[in-house]
Amino acid sequence: MNKERRPNGAAFAIALGLAALGALLIWQGLAIPDKGGYAGIGSGAAPKAIGGGLIVLALCHVWTGLRSSSLPHPHQNWAAIGWIVTGLLLQLFLLKPLGFTIASALLFACTARAMGYKKLQIALPVGLVLAFVVYGVFDGLLKLNLPAGFVENLIYRG
Amino acid sequence: MKHTVFGAALAAVLAMPAFAADYTIMAPAAPGGGWDSTARAMADTMVAEGISASVQVQNVPGAGGTVGLAQFSSTAAGDASQLIVGGYVMVGAILTNASPVSLADVTPIARLTGEAVGIAVAASSPIQNISELVEMMKADPGSVSWGGGSAGGVDHITVGLLAKAAGVDPTKINYVAFAGGGEALAAILGNQVTVGISGVGEFLPQVEAGSMRMLAVSTAEKWAGTDAPTLMESGFDVNVQNWRMVAAAPGLSDEQKAAVAADVDKLVTSAGWQAVLADKGWANTYMAGADFDAQLAKEVEATSAVLKDIGLVQ
Amino acid sequence: MEAFGFLLQGLATAMDPMLLLYALLGVTLGTMVGVLPGIGPALTVALLLPVTYGLDPAGSLIMFAGIYYGGMYGGSTTSILLNTPGESASIVTAIEGNKMALAGRGGPALATAAIGSFVAGLLATLALAFIAPSVVKLALIFGPREYFALMMLAFVTVSAAFGDSAMKGLTSLFIGLALALVGIDGLTGQTRLAFGMPQLLDGIEVTTLAVAMFAVGEALFVAARIEGADVKVHAIKGAVRMTATDWSRSWKAWLRGTAIGFPIGAMPAGGADIASFLSYGAEKRLTKYPAEFGHGAIEGVAGPEAANNAAAAGTLVPLLTLGLPTTATAAIMLAGFQQFGLQPGPLLFVTAPTLVWGLIASLLIANVMLLVLNLPLIRIWIKLLMIPRHWLYAGILLFATLGTIGVNPSPVELVQLTIFGLMGYGMRLLNYPIAPVVVGLILGPMAEQQLRRALSIAQGDWTTLVATPLSAGLLAVAALALIVPMLMRARGRGAVLSQVAADED
Repeated sequence: MNKERRPNGAAFAIALGLAALGALLIWQGLAIPDKGGYAGIGSGAAPKAIGGGLIVLALCHVWTGLRSSSLPHPHQNWAAIGWIVTGLLLQLFLLKPLGFTIASALLFACTARAMGYKKLQIALPVGLVLAFVVYGVFDGLLKLNLPAGFVENLIYRG
Repeated sequence: MKHTVFGAALAAVLAMPAFAADYTIMAPAAPGGGWDSTARAMADTMVAEGISASVQVQNVPGAGGTVGLAQFSSTAAGDASQLIVGGYVMVGAILTNASPVSLADVTPIARLTGEAVGIAVAASSPIQNISELVEMMKADPGSVSWGGGSAGGVDHITVGLLAKAAGVDPTKINYVAFAGGGEALAAILGNQVTVGISGVGEFLPQVEAGSMRMLAVSTAEKWAGTDAPTLMESGFDVNVQNWRMVAAAPGLSDEQKAAVAADVDKLVTSAGWQAVLADKGWANTYMAGADFDAQLAKEVEATSAVLKDIGLVQ
Repeated sequence: MEAFGFLLQGLATAMDPMLLLYALLGVTLGTMVGVLPGIGPALTVALLLPVTYGLDPAGSLIMFAGIYYGGMYGGSTTSILLNTPGESASIVTAIEGNKMALAGRGGPALATAAIGSFVAGLLATLALAFIAPSVVKLALIFGPREYFALMMLAFVTVSAAFGDSAMKGLTSLFIGLALALVGIDGLTGQTRLAFGMPQLLDGIEVTTLAVAMFAVGEALFVAARIEGADVKVHAIKGAVRMTATDWSRSWKAWLRGTAIGFPIGAMPAGGADIASFLSYGAEKRLTKYPAEFGHGAIEGVAGPEAANNAAAAGTLVPLLTLGLPTTATAAIMLAGFQQFGLQPGPLLFVTAPTLVWGLIASLLIANVMLLVLNLPLIRIWIKLLMIPRHWLYAGILLFATLGTIGVNPSPVELVQLTIFGLMGYGMRLLNYPIAPVVVGLILGPMAEQQLRRALSIAQGDWTTLVATPLSAGLLAVAALALIVPMLMRARGRGAVLSQVAADED
């Protein structure tokens, strides 16, 4: 993913991705039994057409990749990306066992960390309070069904 | 600003009653749809009528209710406090999606509400009655394009049943599926399709306004609000109702099942439920016990036969 | 004059205190997200969609439209004071507006933006009210083939006609179209690309995709940029009002902006950002003070700000009358209508006249509210720009996931949020537009189904697609909109188009 050292890497990588997606669509389009009926085209036609379009676009990317050197990208802070993705995954895996409040507080703290705020001992409590209030308002007042953990059961359901 | 938000939330927290849910009703659909509103109306009425102290609604959307049904049958087994809302659409969806879980994996309790399917044309259409339409189908089935709801849904099934009853090959019907009755309506009014088929309620305002003509309804008896004949009266052996039902968890004892059925009976006969029906414009087609079990078995069989005939299910 | 009667009835509906409250909530939220850089009306409506299903349909839709209008107002504040557009339709406002602020004329710049937005919003909403009924009458001659042709036109204008590269726009569009294939095909009930996962049978949720690409993608993009000091907010010196010269230079620009913005919004031609760029170009050509352009010409703020508000109102014409969304925000509002079981289109005016006219009338009221919020109360919004970035984005991500969890707390949805978020980040990094993905996802299945319906009705005869003058004409315009810009770029005239880049709203 280091674009500074391989100027045209991005265009070729995208071309590869588009071609793979296109091939997948065409394969799936061919695999569906045709039930077009009176229309003449069934549910396999659109995947084939869109897959074909993606392959044409992949070829366009190869062509432009060969002809131009891509723009230099500003340096990317991969650690920050890692913090946000970690936060999202923590929330995903802890939502059921620990409930909305704790899982979302972790996401909140990780995002703040990604944005350069390093004081976890402040970000975590702020996130907990915010997520807790959000839970009360949306689950209680707007009847949205948010996953409850021990914090929610302890306080809201007494 | 922040302080008032906190204050309001705190007040909400303190005001909330603190006891466990007696019933949890699963709506196997996203919030806002027909099953969801049925589940929420049931929940509110059960609490208001004192049948249950607290009722929670849980949404598990997906694939005509089959995602929710699969989750319900595995997680709720043996738990008499769990209910699921469903309907005729689910019968078709189980078959077309080749769902591993069917209505046999839950304990159907009762049919609650229902609606007839109506067959209608634009007022400017040359077709005057249902027999003319059927004659056209017999002559050239492809020339009659039917605009209705989603493929394999109750509208499509009704067309298949009508074709079969009229002696037309059901695989030859030219059914044009729309996302819903509303979208089909524009195509019918604009004479883009030959004939429309959808819930009677979708057509009635247009029929009253004189811009559409109702040719027939699908139920055994005439439907309130229109004097269109039933398909049975017109000589076609078709009886379809798009109903909604409530089912309990699988693996209940007879006593548990009877207790749930008694609570549902109390709900349906309550004044609060009658008010809900009137408010939402739902028709009461309550049917429970052995009658409902028999009716359901019959419909599942007929539906799977017609879906095979149409070619939607192998 | 029937529209006038309906509009009066609508005003009576809209005066309901609860609906007024929803409108106020909408315009306040809209101004807020307009002011905050990085989040726009499309994202806000997507976030609120799941939590409003239990509320009154009319109220919720009025709130959504209020957010859309409010976003157009609020965006200008950030452009002028921060030189960072609050949302994409205000990019051009930053050119002259920020120069005015630097020269200590931030007050007049904010005033001409707010009053211009008001004038344009008012005129364009009235135009919407008077044009919509005629479009509705016309709409009944729209069958599947005409809709298909119209959608082809929308695809081309959203993805390929503007921006610096047709290839990038089309790539975004085709990714959206590919995602749209996932799930059950509406016409045969067959499953496509679900790979045995029942959670995918209903396809990819528009709200999940929009929230992922706009909120998560934007958060990743901002976090990954290493920036030194926070950007500086210019203080407003003096009062937020205009001199007589400012007035006389602004009013023509407002009217021209409205005249450019409304049709651009009403035709499937890409929405508010394009309108604001075209208006800027027009003002630059027509001005009596060409020397001031680039150094803080008030016309360069007045015109584009009027144009983007007029375009927002224009977007509602195809959305309400044909059910056709032409911008990401409109696409998500369409999902909002469907959530309440309402299908925008010609029949909405027949089946739910109270709601439609109440909505249109509410927009007139919302416009007045916005003028108050953005002139006397402007200083409150400026305070919003002081919120530290880390709290802002942490909060945005919390709310972004809340919506998804609340509707369907399935791991499959949350995984999608992460994956599409990363995709949105990559697309921002490499300058691929986001809006075509969202529009492709929502319009893709519609276009496919209309095509197959048209062919089914014609029993497989492809010439049916060009059998009416309307469908043939629309397809021809779509083909021209694809080919002409490509030729312009090939002949080195692409600079004009790349300025007019359509982005997220």
